[in-house]
This record gives sequence, C-alpha cells and structure tokens, in this order.
Amino acid sequence: MLTFFQYLFAIVFTLIIVFPFYWMIITSLKTSEELLRPVPTLWPLKFQWNNYVDVFKMAPLGQYILNTIIMTIGVMTLQIIIGSFAAYGFSKGKFPGRDILFIVVLGALMVPIQVTFVPIYVMIAKLKWINTFAGLIVPNAVSAYTIFMLRQTFKSVDDAFIEAAQLEGLGRIDIIFRILIPLCKPTMLTVTIITFIDSWNAYFWPKIATTTPLRRTIALGVYELKRSYAGLETMNQNQIMAGAVITIVPIIILFILLQKYILTGFSKVASK
Amino acid sequence: MKDFLCVLPAVIFFALFVYYPILKLFQISFTNWNLISDTYKYVGLKNFKWLFQGSGFASLINSLTITFRYTFWEIVITIAGGLLLAALFNRESKVFSALRSIVFMPRYIAISASAIVFMWILNDQYGILNYVLGVIGLKPIMFNTEENALTAVLILTCWRVIGYGMMIYLSAMKGISPEYYEAAKLDGANSFQRFRFITLPLLSPTTLFLFVTTFIASMKVFQSIDVMTSGGPYGATEVIVYWIYELAFVDFRVDRAAAVTLVFFVILMGFTAATMKFTERNIYYES
Repeated sequence: MLTFFQYLFAIVFTLIIVFPFYWMIITSLKTSEELLRPVPTLWPLKFQWNNYVDVFKMAPLGQYILNTIIMTIGVMTLQIIIGSFAAYGFSKGKFPGRDILFIVVLGALMVPIQVTFVPIYVMIAKLKWINTFAGLIVPNAVSAYTIFMLRQTFKSVDDAFIEAAQLEGLGRIDIIFRILIPLCKPTMLTVTIITFIDSWNAYFWPKIATTTPLRRTIALGVYELKRSYAGLETMNQNQIMAGAVITIVPIIILFILLQKYILTGFSKVASK
Repeated sequence: MKDFLCVLPAVIFFALFVYYPILKLFQISFTNWNLISDTYKYVGLKNFKWLFQGSGFASLINSLTITFRYTFWEIVITIAGGLLLAALFNRESKVFSALRSIVFMPRYIAISASAIVFMWILNDQYGILNYVLGVIGLKPIMFNTEENALTAVLILTCWRVIGYGMMIYLSAMKGISPEYYEAAKLDGANSFQRFRFITLPLLSPTTLFLFVTTFIASMKVFQSIDVMTSGGPYGATEVIVYWIYELAFVDFRVDRAAAVTLVFFVILMGFTAATMKFTERNIYYES
C-alpha cells in the first residue's frame, strides 16, 4: 500500500515537472487563434508546423545558434587546455609558492562575474571587443572550478606513472595529454559536459558583451525574440515557444544521452 | 621551474579578470565616471554618501530586502523541498531512476527559455493556471502586480532547483551506512524515528553545503528577473544585481554601480567568512 502511494506521488510530481516542457511544445504548434481561446486546449486542434519556419523570419536564430556553437567550442577548448596545464602544475608540479598560487586560484571561485562585470566590460570595451567572439570567449577562458576538479583527479593518479613517463623522456605536454587525461577520462567528460551546458545557456555575460544581434547567443536571443513582438506577444506565443523549444532541445538530448556523467560529477561536488 | 609555466596562464587570467577588476571597482567608485563620457574626476566618497545617506539609500534597502527575500525562499525550497522529495524518490528501481532524472533536468535548461513558458502558464488572461483555478472555483491570480511578481519568479525557481536539492540529498543518503538503520530497527525505532534521528542528523553537512551554495547562487539572481519582470513593477523585483546592471547600462552611472557592487561583494565575502567559522566549530562530519 505504501509502495503504491510512493509510486503515485512520485509520478504525479514528475508530471508537474514535465508539464512546462509539454506546454512549451504544444503551444509552439498551435495557431494564433487557438492560443487566445478562453478554454486552453491540451492538444493542438491543428498542428501549425510553420511556426518553426516563421520564427526564423522574426529573429536571426540561425546566427544566434552559430554564435553559441562557436562561443561554446572556444570556451570549452580553452578551459580544458589551460585548466589541464594548471591542474598538472598544482597537483604534480614542484615550484616555490605553489600552494599560495593555488589559494589565489581558489579565491577566484568566490568572486562571481556578477561582481566583476562592470570593470570587465570597461576592459573589453577599451579593446573594442564588444560584439566580438573574443569579447564573449576570453573572459570565460579559464574556470577555477575546472582547475579545482581536474587537480583533484590528477592528484589521485599514482606518481609512479609520471616518474616512469619522465624516465622514458616524455615532456609535460605528453604527460598531460597522453597519460593524465586518458587516465582521468570520466572527470574530463564530466567537466567538459558541464562547461558545454553552462556555455550553451550563458546569458549574463553575453548580455553585457553584445549590443546588437550580430554576436548574440541563443539563450539571450530567445528573450530578445520575445521583445521583437512588442505589443503582439500574446498572439505570437506559438512562435516564441518555437524559439524556446529550439533553444532547449540540444541540451535535453545531451542530458538524456550523457546524464550518467553529469550525475557522477555532481555527487563528487556534493560529497566534497 | 617549467611546472610554474604550466600554471602561469591561469594565474595571469585570474589576475586580469578577477583581482584587477576588484581593484578597479574601488577606483571607479571614487570617481564621477559616466559611461558616455571619456573623462572623469575623483570625487572622494560622494558615491558612498549617495548610497548610504542620499537618494540611493532607499533603493539599496529595497533591493537588499527583495534579494534576501528571494534568497530565503530559494533556500527553503532547495532544502525543505529537496529533503521531502529525497524521502519520496528514495527507491531503487528503473522507474524511479527515470523519474529522478526528469525531476532533476530543469536545472540544466536555459532559464530564459523556461521563464518564457512560465510566463505563458501564469499569464493573467490566457494562462492555464488561472483557467484551472477558475474551474475549481478560485479567484485568478494576477502575477504582474507588485505583490505577486516575485512569487511568479519563485515558482520558476522552485521548478528549477527542487530536483537539485533532491539529488544532493539522495547522493548523501546513499553514503549512510545501513548498519545504523538495522541497529535502530532492533531497538524498535519506526521509519519516521529512523529518518528523524539517523538520516537527518547525518545529513547536516549536506544541508550546510546546500545552504551555503544556494545562498551564494540566489544572491546573484538576474536572468529570471530580467526575462520575467525587468525588476518591476515599480521596483518590486529589483534585486541587487539587476539594480547594478541598470545603474551601469541604463543610467550609465558606472561610478554608482561600482559603489553598489562593492557593498554586494562585502556581503558575499562576509557570508563566506561567517560560514567558514561556523563550519569549523559546529558541523560533525562522519569519519
């Protein structure tokens, strides 16, 4: 009996969580006339797939998606490469002042972009980097969180591997890319996926660093899309929802395929 | 020494994009710099006088009140909601593992896209929520009012974070040794007592972790406010980061924005220092 209620409540709660996703998709397929009915319909009377075509005419969503992909690849690559080198230095390297410098890096974890964005904007503007990929990517090129996570796993690798590699005459780059990274694959994957998702969904910094649609990213673009229907938002909810669906579908697919890695990373953070 | 070169790019980055901007904030806050003009003068404490004694004070109190109110509810939802859900979803089966994933997923969905659908669900005239309320005989709720705007944002927040709280608690609960429960069963403790006297105390480090991380995350709230309310109506949802953003990029008063940012920064640092002190003294970690 208890089991029955546990299943019942869990399923009902899950349906409540699913509902906004369902409503987003259903609304994106309705006609404008159907949106404005006093009694909302739970299933479109007539599927208007054209909403997904029309929304691209209202805003350069294709450009937004391309911008997001380029920014995401740039941020991911830089964070992983610079982060791996730093994590190697802080876990296996030996030099004076190592622990103090590591505290300097950890300190950065406590200073969010919401504190530093005004001065960083000023710097970026001086470099004429507003509305450029450099402006979107460079301020996110290194993540203290990535360095911290990678350092923890690199530390767990036995020094014997590294000493053996050094005897074979391998340099640091080979040690990092041919020994440490392959040995720490699960953490590398977790960090990469989290970076990907964060970058895809980035909103705050792109909002500061872009002023025109030219380099706008998709999470930001979907809100600007809504604004482009100024005054007529209600009857165009179907197209706005189509834009929202386009924004979230890549992440949903990624989540379903790779949630195993998201969850492992996650329990590591929780048990810290 | 080559090892030092490995960490150098990261260290230079943090110097340029974290530590230098903090120093720069102090500098800007002592000027009368307006984003539109190229020149500025040093004006001493004028911006801080505006903030604490002048017309900025009422806005500061307003935005801090709203930010703390939002933070309070996000913490309650994450901890209390997360714990309740963890108790409900704590069952080993394929079905439950799938349900857990679904409940957890909203955290990874772009807030802007989620906010858009929530605004449609909560729409005063065409929203399905008000339709359902009407069907069961309740009055419709207008979410675009001063009293209700923050609630609308919190409904979205609840959807986003409750599964996160659940997952954190569940992974901590997995770590509790079953021996404790068996011993308690032998002593005749029922399932509520076992939860109250074994699970809850052993989860206290997890609760502290959630408290600290949620506090810091929710003090920074911006995106859902920007999309759903733009700080309005009449400043009813003007949280601190949104206010700083408006000062800098709508009013172009970077000098004032810098002064407010410093207050915000001091609050975050003070909180972090306080929790570190508290953790050292009070939290019992198993082994």
